[in-house]
Amino acid sequence: MAENGSEMNYRLVPSTCVYCGTGCGVLLEVTGDRLSGTLPQKDHPVSKGALCIKGWSVHEFVYSERRLTKPMVRSGEVLVETDWEAALAAVADGLSAARDKHGPDSVGFFASARCTNEENYLLQKLARAVVGTNNVDHCARL
Amino acid sequence: MTNSIAELEDAKVILIVGSNTTEQHPIIGERILAAARKGAKLIVIDPRAIHLSGFAEVFLRPRPGSEVAYLNGLINVIISEGLEDSEFIAARTEGFEELKQAVAEYTPQKVEEISGIPAEDLVAAARIYAGSERASIVYCMGITQHSTGTDNVLSLANLAMLTGNVGKPGTGVNPLRGQNNVQGACDVGGLPNVYTGYQRVDSEEVAKKFEAAWGVEGLSRQPGLTLTEMMDKAARGELKALFIMGENPMVSDPDLGHVREALDKLEFLAVADIMENETLELSHVVLPAASFAEKDGTITNTERRVQRIRKAVEPVGDSRPDWEIVCALARKMGASGFDFTSPEEVFEEIRKVTPSYAGITYKRLGTQGLQWPVPDEDHPGTPILHAESFPIGKGKFTPCEFREPAEMPDAEYPLLLTTGRLLFHYHTGTMTRRSPSLVREIDRAFVEVNPADAAELGIGDGEAVKVSSRRGSVEVNAKVTDKVGKGVIFMPFHFAEAAANVLTNSALDPVSKIPEFKVCSARIET
Amino acid sequence: MSDLKSIVREKLRDGADAFLCLKNEEGTVLPALITDADSPDLELVEVGDSRYPLGKILIDLLREYPDKRFAVLVRGCDERALVELSKLEQVDLERLVLVGVACSAEEAAACGCLRPYPSDIALGEKVEAAPGREVIDEVESLSDAERMAWWREQFSRCIKCYGCRNICPMCFCKDCALEEPHLVEPGVIPPDFPSFHIIRALDMTGRCIDCGLCEEACPAGIPLRSLYRKMQDIMEDKLEYRAGESAEERSPLSFLGSEQDIEKLEE
Ligand code: SF4
Repeated sequence: MAENGSEMNYRLVPSTCVYCGTGCGVLLEVTGDRLSGTLPQKDHPVSKGALCIKGWSVHEFVYSERRLTKPMVRSGEVLVETDWEAALAAVADGLSAARDKHGPDSVGFFASARCTNEENYLLQKLARAVVGTNNVDHCARL
Repeated sequence: MTNSIAELEDAKVILIVGSNTTEQHPIIGERILAAARKGAKLIVIDPRAIHLSGFAEVFLRPRPGSEVAYLNGLINVIISEGLEDSEFIAARTEGFEELKQAVAEYTPQKVEEISGIPAEDLVAAARIYAGSERASIVYCMGITQHSTGTDNVLSLANLAMLTGNVGKPGTGVNPLRGQNNVQGACDVGGLPNVYTGYQRVDSEEVAKKFEAAWGVEGLSRQPGLTLTEMMDKAARGELKALFIMGENPMVSDPDLGHVREALDKLEFLAVADIMENETLELSHVVLPAASFAEKDGTITNTERRVQRIRKAVEPVGDSRPDWEIVCALARKMGASGFDFTSPEEVFEEIRKVTPSYAGITYKRLGTQGLQWPVPDEDHPGTPILHAESFPIGKGKFTPCEFREPAEMPDAEYPLLLTTGRLLFHYHTGTMTRRSPSLVREIDRAFVEVNPADAAELGIGDGEAVKVSSRRGSVEVNAKVTDKVGKGVIFMPFHFAEAAANVLTNSALDPVSKIPEFKVCSARIET
Repeated sequence: MSDLKSIVREKLRDGADAFLCLKNEEGTVLPALITDADSPDLELVEVGDSRYPLGKILIDLLREYPDKRFAVLVRGCDERALVELSKLEQVDLERLVLVGVACSAEEAAACGCLRPYPSDIALGEKVEAAPGREVIDEVESLSDAERMAWWREQFSRCIKCYGCRNICPMCFCKDCALEEPHLVEPGVIPPDFPSFHIIRALDMTGRCIDCGLCEEACPAGIPLRSLYRKMQDIMEDKLEYRAGESAEERSPLSFLGSEQDIEKLEE
């Protein structure tokens, strides 16, 4: 229940189900500032207002307790929380060190069939244009 | 897919092979049933009885790994009964004589010996497929995840061209992509041998084009390594650092023992992901990523439809979208060309360097998307590929010889293990197993065993058993069912605590480098 | 539809805190909650050609914002849903202002519901249409044994998406019988025949307001609406009750007490 007097907000945001390659049209329900449900997009060219059980529940994992919420770096046996600056610097150092010592092809990148086109594009650009290797692949084959 | 999902409803015959469509692509599965209600005949070829086989005119249940044999058998029957489309073959193809010779020995009797498909059923299926004006082939990992995966796909193409089922509505050879953006990740260069739009890295002209577009020099002309090859190189200690975005190889890859060993050897492993997962325990840095509901972007579905996802809510905690993470990392490494302020800006760059995406804009995508190729901004998109001609002129028949899978049952491991997905889960379960509605349906691994095998082994339904292969073993409950044939067992691969991929074989197809998830030898003990 | 725009403005001015209606965004019609007269969404409002379960959305909104009043755009079916939901104590009609829209002749013919218009019509013109009976007639022409086989074949396509339940404006139970493992075996498709579909059909008896959203959402094209419609026909015939028709008359099936009391018992 919303606080007394707080701003009312209910919105449906057109998006695409991410649970398989069919790509059904979903509307994400937002109540207040949180995801509250999923409805089918009625006029979608593929799904035409229907969804499977995964599509209907595609919002459910978003607030899972297993979501990662903080950058972490390893210290001995454990991962400890840190800030973005430190975490990104650690990754930049790790990748640069391997490249400088063993050459660009000692570095690899796994892109993702679960990320967006834009993200995969940027990752392969990073691999090719910044690190200098074509070692970039994703789990299409898996 | 060469054709569109909606078109399936207009097919007169649909051949579903190596795709449990109802469970992996549920809405496409229902589209296929809609076609059946309009009178289309279904032919289902699968080692397991699946939801769709209950609606099929003919259901063939081959032993996994015999794909080339039975596909050659279908071609053999079509040619020997004179059911091929001679006009199409003459006008649009080459290599027919070679194909004819190569398949001559694959008589229905011989195919029965290899695959276990009764000869008369094979003949019936061939007649139905060749006898219709519009037949569509739908396939998935049951065809590709074999050490003969490339040959399997080529054989399907042979079958479609032989009968002229190409380039028309309700026809085609239609691979269903497993994960939501496999198509897009390939389209935008998430592959070791090509840039965006399948432009080859070893082409001088292409490399120059990207050097100019990105303002860099000396892009490598040497194709990189595939994922499984990177794992092998890591295990040998030659790959030193790895950056993983949104993957969980510790559950999804074949032969998990080997994967752990490989990742352990790395000097540096960084992972960006939305969820805690099994791969984190081996990584040096973990970056929290935003989920699909917390960012904008595009993904491309199995019928080449580029579609938008839209940010609905703010990312949880300190998580950030992967596009921001990669840009920030590139800038940290001193690179220019990563100053994007939105995914739309990134997309604008993609379409500049990718002819098949050139005419796509966020605005045009709207809520309906567009099917590539879209060469310019006035182009309406392309529902059917190859309508006029094949990209290299005439379609070429490629005869394939049957080869056995890399590993076959023997005295020590007498059963054939095949793996797959369930309707209620997705890939390694990191998302679906955090979803109450899905977990309520099923949240436990199992192994399907044929009643005859179960009786021989003294296994009861629901009993805990140990399944082993040469690579490892897992404990699961047995489900005794005649869905699987005698000698074959099936396991879903979503469940990390009883991961089917501890058992699977990482033997690769020599061309596609796809691991042989769909066949390995195994044994069951109580 | 400039009329709708001025109606939304007027209701917001006359005491409604928000207006739940439909808007057309990039060619797609979807529900929108307009909370102020300057909202850019106001330019996009339209009656539209897609329907969504506005009643169900309102159940949540009334709970989430307990001190707010809502105006809502209703077709005949939306109004029936709200009337019945109020009797089932899920919405408070006192906090709602209904703005009625009558379905066009074309829409009404395609839909085949008994009353393609609300009691008060602010937009559109009232038309009557012949109730859709094709499927019911087809089934009734079969023998009893054939009928069972007919339904079995329909339900065999079900992939347990729960879409019929999820989109239904009249389905609001926290604990759904379809999810009881002893009634329906989890994780299996198609779900047990006939229990899954019979449970739902019985739950709909005296409750289904014949909006047809279930059938629109069904990926398997199962004629669910006709099944529930027939149940309502029987109710009307035997017990003289049709869900959503009158705000005063209570369902004869309410003799066990109110839904909320039953829920409390279960807890
Ligand atoms: S709703 Fe089901 S079929 Fe559609 S994309 Fe999602 S998982 Fe795939």
